[in-house]
Amino acid sequence: MLKPVPLAPPSSAGYNSPVPPVSQTIRVTVLFFGRLKELTGHAEHSIEFADAMTIEQLFALYAARHPELAKYRSSVVASRNQEFAAWDTPLRSGDEVAFLPPVSGG
Amino acid sequence: MATFPQDDIYQLVREPIDLVALVRHVRAPEDGAIVTFDGFARNQSHNRPTLYLDYEAYESMALAKMREIGVQLHEKYSIHRVAMVHRLGRLEIGDTSVFIAVSAPHRAAAFDACRFAIDTLKRTVPIWKKEYFEDGAVWADGELPPAPAATPRAKPAS
Repeated sequence: MLKPVPLAPPSSAGYNSPVPPVSQTIRVTVLFFGRLKELTGHAEHSIEFADAMTIEQLFALYAARHPELAKYRSSVVASRNQEFAAWDTPLRSGDEVAFLPPVSGG
Repeated sequence: MATFPQDDIYQLVREPIDLVALVRHVRAPEDGAIVTFDGFARNQSHNRPTLYLDYEAYESMALAKMREIGVQLHEKYSIHRVAMVHRLGRLEIGDTSVFIAVSAPHRAAAFDACRFAIDTLKRTVPIWKKEYFEDGAVWADGELPPAPAATPRAKPAS
């Protein structure tokens, strides 16, 4: 299981401070299908992180915990909010990201 | 003639597909032809006897992609109605896994649209088939959907 990244410490600036926080927590839902689901043990996983991240970096994060995943990288496509997405797509809080093995419907 | 999807059917189901009802749905007095595709579970795969199949889908995205195929069908071909249904879960040998029916005033458009529909579905709709054999199970070889190439400049979050 991935541990959520701790929230950034509260800013010492006041509530109405114009200074943006140094980092902002991004929370995304990650879905795995087919053999990727079996490999990671997750159908759906919620994860939080503090810094900007692309879909590629998110996949690498899971591959670090499930080394088997890495060898499927070239035969996986990603989607963001139910549209196929490029690997360098940056994630935004609330996104639903899915890692999809080759499709075999029909 | 209605030319768009309000009269079409795009569904994922877990029960047997009612082929007759779908054909009846797309059939209208102004049409002259219906072409159907009935995809069903084969009893072998690569010469190994198959016991049964199990389909899973990214359901919300699969439905969205099926509707997108419908939009393309109406743009590209002079057709009337489309019914496109994929079944999920466990299927026995001979069970229909996917059924597509396209009606049109003339047969050529119906043939072309039905062919385009099944070919595109197999390439782009997030559905996966697991094949069960006497000695185990495997995920079927599939096709990798075309995904957008890396963006030249990442879009800023807004």
